[in-house]
Amino acid sequence: MEYLVVLLLFVVFVQTRVMELRRSVVALMAQSVIVACACLLAGLNHGLIHAFVPFALTLGVKVIFIPTAMLKLIKRITDEREIFSDINVNYSTLAAAAFLVFGYVLGNRFMLDPMAQDIFAATVMMIMTGLALMVMRKRAILQICGLITLENGIYLLGLIITEGLPLVVELGVFLDVLIAVVVLVILTNRMSLSFMTTDTTVMRKLKG
Amino acid sequence: MESFVGALGLYGLGTLALIWPKRLELAAHYVSMGLASIASLVVLCQSLMTLGGMGGAAVWQLGRYSLAVDGWAAAFLLIIGLSGTAVSIYGMGYGRGYLGARIRQLAGLWNLFLGSMVMVVLAGDAFTFILAWEVMALVSFLLVNHESEKKQVVHAAYQYMVMTHLGTAAILVAFYLLGSGAESFAFADLAHSQLPPVLRHIAFGCAFLGFALKSGLMPLHVWLPNAHPAAPSHVSALMSGVMLKVAVYGFGRFVFEFIGADVFAYGLIVMVVGLVSAFLGVLYASMEKDMKRILAYSSVENMGIIFAAFGCGMLLVAMDKPYLSLAAFTAVLVHSFAHSLMKCLLFMSAGAVMHATGTRTVELLGGLMKKMPWTAAFTLIGSMSLASLPFTAGLVGEWLTLQGMMTLAFESGTPELRLLVIFAFILLGLTGALALGCFVRLYGVTFLGRRRSNLVLKAHEMPFTMLLGMGMEALVILAAGIMPAPLVNAMRQILVDSPLAIPAGNFMGLWWNGGQSEAVFSLWLILIAALWLLAFLALTISGKKVIVRQDVTWNCGTEPTRRQQYTATGFSKPLRRAFDFILKPRRERVFLQREHAYFGRKLHYNLLIPDQFTDRLYRPVQHIMIKAADTLRIVQQGSVRLYIGYTMIAMVIVLIWGGM
Repeated sequence: MEYLVVLLLFVVFVQTRVMELRRSVVALMAQSVIVACACLLAGLNHGLIHAFVPFALTLGVKVIFIPTAMLKLIKRITDEREIFSDINVNYSTLAAAAFLVFGYVLGNRFMLDPMAQDIFAATVMMIMTGLALMVMRKRAILQICGLITLENGIYLLGLIITEGLPLVVELGVFLDVLIAVVVLVILTNRMSLSFMTTDTTVMRKLKG
Repeated sequence: MESFVGALGLYGLGTLALIWPKRLELAAHYVSMGLASIASLVVLCQSLMTLGGMGGAAVWQLGRYSLAVDGWAAAFLLIIGLSGTAVSIYGMGYGRGYLGARIRQLAGLWNLFLGSMVMVVLAGDAFTFILAWEVMALVSFLLVNHESEKKQVVHAAYQYMVMTHLGTAAILVAFYLLGSGAESFAFADLAHSQLPPVLRHIAFGCAFLGFALKSGLMPLHVWLPNAHPAAPSHVSALMSGVMLKVAVYGFGRFVFEFIGADVFAYGLIVMVVGLVSAFLGVLYASMEKDMKRILAYSSVENMGIIFAAFGCGMLLVAMDKPYLSLAAFTAVLVHSFAHSLMKCLLFMSAGAVMHATGTRTVELLGGLMKKMPWTAAFTLIGSMSLASLPFTAGLVGEWLTLQGMMTLAFESGTPELRLLVIFAFILLGLTGALALGCFVRLYGVTFLGRRRSNLVLKAHEMPFTMLLGMGMEALVILAAGIMPAPLVNAMRQILVDSPLAIPAGNFMGLWWNGGQSEAVFSLWLILIAALWLLAFLALTISGKKVIVRQDVTWNCGTEPTRRQQYTATGFSKPLRRAFDFILKPRRERVFLQREHAYFGRKLHYNLLIPDQFTDRLYRPVQHIMIKAADTLRIVQQGSVRLYIGYTMIAMVIVLIWGGM
């Protein structure tokens, strides 16, 4: 489990530095794989058979379906002109580090078990970094990556706090993510068709 | 109690007019208005029986919700029942004018309106009260908005809706505060609400704000002169005559039962606000040219008098002399009753005039007395009553109010309070005088003199139902004016039995501060004096040989024409000059033709009396609110990333807060 946490932190840090679309999706896929493994491990520790179901779901939805859809989308919009106006990647990395510290400060207060503290800090960091990615990145694909990171963080947090969510809740969460991503992918596609770019700042033109 | 519930059921049946088929709409109107008058009659009889102590069960429970009737409620049910019956009968005839113009909606909502008012007064817990109050507000909004083709009407209706909801919000806050102190919303429990003083002050402030708004006290009256004229006349009669009293009921309930009147400042605030409303209300009423606006402003005046009397009573209670407050509180009830009668009557007559001539601008009327003798007679009675002349109910209430003030003046220990009472006397005196002028003007310009426009030519007397409605009210006004004792005694008994439990004492003696004489309001004295005066006049006139010579009035050599008679605007000119500093009239002159300084000129002259509260208070507030909203738009940039950023900041704050 400890290794998984370290790996996860590493992947999230990498995510804050990646600006290229395809690589960011691959990083996201790696992150989801780690979350799936954590889910499986947690389930096994508690000796729950139905831990396999969320594991399979995570693999299916977050590792295979969503990244595939996004990659397909990226293929279609490769002719997009490059934008380098994103806020400096160093800032997002710094922010992620700050969030990690913040997570440990909170974890000290909320969690007793040191292991749980680590995971808690990691999840807080994922949630906040996901939000930060959405705020700081302009391109839609990167924002979707931020959203999935946030989602993974919340899922993991739920996992360690409740020691296994009820199956119905998990199914609901997955359905939510699935629908959100499908909608986002479609929207991004439409956007690149209409505006020839996926830079969300151009959406401001739509304001009345 | 069962009869009240039955009456509510009848109102409910009447409301069904909303869903009658279109081709039966006239039948729906008659059936529905008939049901309304029967139900109101039931309410009237049952409230009379309750006042007489034969009401039967006082509470009707349904789970946590209840309907209850006590003396205070019965007094207002009496008002609703009496005016509801008369105006519903009148509405049968008047509503016919709306055939083809959503007449079913008018009749159905009319029932719902009456029912909701009965419900408000019957409510035995805060939930029922607020529910009925809100139904009353919404239905009256719909009724005001009935002629929604007119832009002005829609404007007035929406202004009314905004204001009335502010009032409801304030009352809700008051109920929540009281309920949090009592842990239950039943009125019986709210009476034992234990609140810390600060919260109690806030609760009182909110309650007063809410009820003052509904009763149109200044400066919260701005909706009233717009909304009441915009509604169909029978609806404005009910709104002005009855709905405003429901607010008095609610305020009394709060003061007597829930909050108590033992804080000196409460009474002071209520009294001063009431006095100012009374004076300014009648001053504006004297300036208006629109019949219904005159009446609406006069409602502001009379509600002011009622609240001034209320404040006076509260002051006496706060000074720990509850037995002396009896006159003032009786004045509240009697004047509420009297005002509901006369205001309903006059709105009905304004409706009749509108029905006959198609206008409500008094400048276009005149000489209607010959065309509509009955309406003119009833209006005369109503106008006399509103001007508080003897032999009418209007005098009794105002007389009692003055009695209350007098008691306060005798009992006030401090010079400041005495000064206030002197001030109150001056204002009330001015109010009375101005009211007299205002209604002489209204009646004289409308019914007397000669016609000012050709609209009068087509005027005709009203159908029987409308006359019957007006006649009933006029009769009760005269009856209560000539024999006020039963009314005053019944109202006094209510207060003695009320939760305030005012000791009865020697009521008649009390009026002159302990004096034993009964020379307070002796009808016989006035009657004898009047007879003497008449006899004197008759003798002097008949004694002389009067030479009658019929000729035109000397008029500097020109033939007098209709256009030379007093106009309403001209009649109130001296007042406008005297109170220039309050009214700030705006005169606009536009020359159409200007050949010479003295002749050959044609001009448009327009006189505007802007409501000072709207200009000085509401406009700036509106301006500030719009500016503040503009400032808030900085955070609303329309950028999704910014919004996500807000979420992030909020989350960090919540996490830190949770961690601490």
